[in-house]
Amino acid sequence: MAALSFRDVRKRFGSGAEVIHGVSIDIADGEFVVLVGPSGCGKSTLLRMLAGLEEITAGEILIDGRVVNDLESKDRDIAMVFQSYALYPHMTVRENMGFSLRLRRADRGTIDARVTQAARILNLDPMLERFPRELSGGQRQRVAMGRAIVRDPKVFLFDEPLSNLDAKLRVAMRAEIKQLHQRLQTTTVYVTHDQIEAMTMADRIVVMHDGMIEQVGTPLELFDRPSNLFVAQFIGSPAMNVFTGTARDHAVEALGAAWPVPDGAGASTGQAVQYGVRPTDLRLAASGVAGRVVVVEPTGAETELLVDVGGRQLTVVTHGRVSARPGEVVYLVPDAARVHVFDGASGRRLQ
Amino acid sequence: MSAAALPAPAARKGLNRWQFWGRALIAPYVVVFAVFVLYPVCYGLWLARHPASYVKLIDDPIFFRTAINTIVFIVVGINLKMLAALALSGFFVQARWWIRILAVLFILPWAVPSIPTILSVRFMLNPEWGVINTTIFRLTGLDGPNWLNDPTLALGFSMLMHVWKSLPFWTLILVAGRLAIPGEQYEAASVDGATRWQKFRFITWPSLRGLYLTSTILSMIWTLGDFNSVYLLTGGGPADLTHVLATLGIRYLRLDQVDLAMASIVVALPLVLPLVYFMMKRLSK
Amino acid sequence: MKRKAIAAEARLLLIGIPVFLWTAIPIYHLLLFAISGRDSATSGRLWPTHPTLQNFSIVFHQQHFYLNHFWVQLGNSLVIALTVGALTLLVATAAAFAISRLKVRGGRLVMNLALFTYFIPAAFLAVPMYKTMGNYGLLNNQWALILAMVTIAAPYCIWVLKQASDKLPWELDEAARIDGASPLQLFRLVYLPLMVPSLVAVGTYALLLAWNEYLYAFLLLSRDDSVTLAVALGNFLAADDSPWELLMATGLVYALPPAAIYYAFRRYMVSGLTAGAVKS
Repeated sequence: MAALSFRDVRKRFGSGAEVIHGVSIDIADGEFVVLVGPSGCGKSTLLRMLAGLEEITAGEILIDGRVVNDLESKDRDIAMVFQSYALYPHMTVRENMGFSLRLRRADRGTIDARVTQAARILNLDPMLERFPRELSGGQRQRVAMGRAIVRDPKVFLFDEPLSNLDAKLRVAMRAEIKQLHQRLQTTTVYVTHDQIEAMTMADRIVVMHDGMIEQVGTPLELFDRPSNLFVAQFIGSPAMNVFTGTARDHAVEALGAAWPVPDGAGASTGQAVQYGVRPTDLRLAASGVAGRVVVVEPTGAETELLVDVGGRQLTVVTHGRVSARPGEVVYLVPDAARVHVFDGASGRRLQ
Repeated sequence: MSAAALPAPAARKGLNRWQFWGRALIAPYVVVFAVFVLYPVCYGLWLARHPASYVKLIDDPIFFRTAINTIVFIVVGINLKMLAALALSGFFVQARWWIRILAVLFILPWAVPSIPTILSVRFMLNPEWGVINTTIFRLTGLDGPNWLNDPTLALGFSMLMHVWKSLPFWTLILVAGRLAIPGEQYEAASVDGATRWQKFRFITWPSLRGLYLTSTILSMIWTLGDFNSVYLLTGGGPADLTHVLATLGIRYLRLDQVDLAMASIVVALPLVLPLVYFMMKRLSK
Repeated sequence: MKRKAIAAEARLLLIGIPVFLWTAIPIYHLLLFAISGRDSATSGRLWPTHPTLQNFSIVFHQQHFYLNHFWVQLGNSLVIALTVGALTLLVATAAAFAISRLKVRGGRLVMNLALFTYFIPAAFLAVPMYKTMGNYGLLNNQWALILAMVTIAAPYCIWVLKQASDKLPWELDEAARIDGASPLQLFRLVYLPLMVPSLVAVGTYALLLAWNEYLYAFLLLSRDDSVTLAVALGNFLAADDSPWELLMATGLVYALPPAAIYYAFRRYMVSGLTAGAVKS
């Protein structure tokens, strides 16, 4: 269990361009932090620098108050779960899990005890004598986690561990990992490109883009108050509707209609802005912004509609069933307290 | 606390363990290379430094004959061998139980050492009691030719021996190349109505072309070094008329003319080195 | 339809039979001589009138001038081949690991130098090697042949091992490092177990290369009791009236181990060796 700190960490590969530009984060002891972002944003690189698998070009990384820049991976007291599990194919599950202790010349008793305990936590008891090739993807992932647990490290690192699993398994494993964290309370840094994983598992989320941090916050903070356009469109599914408009007095003119803004939105009249409203914050009413229904997608509990407003297709999600049919005209009313206005040029939130 | 704006490389105090062991583990081979390749090569080149050696070499009629032999050996032998390998590779990919057994037998010439087999052929060619001549006598009452006494025939048999020994290896390589071609391409061609020749021309050959070229070049290089096929069959005879480059150097060595031995090798380098360079380019991709 | 199938089979047999004859004749002839008495061997018959194992008995009892040191020479061949196999395996495995997994600096250069050595015909290197061994004072010492063969065999072995090694996922090394493995532990506990098939193919290759070698053995060794069986066989050619049937019998004995090993390991050999040669 330990606190982590990244202080102005930078990374450059060889003599190429800088790929991580001054990242600083403080992670509290026992926190479950998710690094999320699109491919190439640098989240994996950052994780690997923490693990000691990549050199830190500039800045410092601290684990439990100690600068670890020059420490080898094995001396950092961390454990890592890889996307491809990285299980040793020629060793049984038991040997895989006990390998790190064996390297440290721990005695048989200790190894057996720790392996058995980890196996019990992860329901791996019946598989201890099997080889990785005999296991399914989900089982292998659990073995990889078991290997990490046996080490009893200060920090758990996860590098996109669920990417190779099918959708259903992913949902089940998400819950398992979260339960594991609640049980062991070990500081965890988890990397993924899937924002749903981030939202469901994290205590706090770090959204990264092009080697920089876009925003750090709890899932709900990021959902309710994204600080810029990138975060607004990255978090939440279906994605937020965003369209160009012009700021007016207490409203935004866009798509040939007037859209309400929350009080205190600091946009000057005539400023170009990006107006953002989540599909769940639009409701169908008797009057409002007019649009023509393009597609109706009932998913049982909710209905997702694509509505053409002023040439732009907006996504609307409503609870329950809807009687509108494609081609019909409907009226949309946004929840004024929950809309977002961003500066047209910089993408920053206007408040 | 935070580093300067200009990114500085993380300081690695001295050699870390991984770099140390990297060097330690590659060292044995580097030593082997330095002591048994680099030094001999440099020493050999130094031995061949006198221009007088080359003059003597060119004046030696044996050298001229050897050069011709070598070129014939390479040009005729290699192409015969590679074409046969190409044809046979098509034969050996057929799925028949007896072809599979034949394939195992076919590897034998390459697998077994060449001395017993070359000597076996040498005895077959013996003019008095060799199996070939006795059979000819039995069938026709005539004496068969003195095979190894005729330089052309002798060289021919050396080439044949070489092909016999190395054909299996190259056939295997081309078989592997053929197996790498997806079967569906042939099936699609069948549906399109292609003949066997067309399938070869439009599917097999384009895929095999690169491998065939690489194999031919490599085979050329190695054939230049085939000492056994000539030495054990003809000894370079009759009258030093069937020497090739590989055996000529040894001949000079045994006559204590080391400078000529080295010179004969150096003279071949302009032919060998470009081929080697070509192979290295191909393989270290 | 049936006629087409028969015609196809006939075509294949038309190729298969000549291939069989071409392959088998020299080997069959060798066998023939080995089991014939002196006179019937040279009589040109297809099968000896009285097949005999007498020749083998003479060979094994070293009952002829040229066979005086048969067992010693056979032993030499064996010992040298095994040593070359083992040494090459050691040197090549270490080098391949350093180049492929440890990414040692200069690894690429060493790999290229090795490839260069592999492509240069061994016969070209023979004369300088002979003189060099003389300079090192190793002539007539079995170590000269051993080290020369290791030098010749190692490059291809390093190449094949590197290719196979590159196929192992990188994450295994990273996981092992995080688990706390030192470079040697990684080598011993993770790398070697996963490379076993390639190691077998490569070790066998080096072993057979040394066993089958003639030129270098012939140049570097000369004392009757220190030469290999290959050289002893070549010495038979010195006289015109050598006992050819004994030579063939000895030759057969000499040829059996490689044939047997190839047959036993044929699957390893084929995949292990063509993997290096064919770049897919």
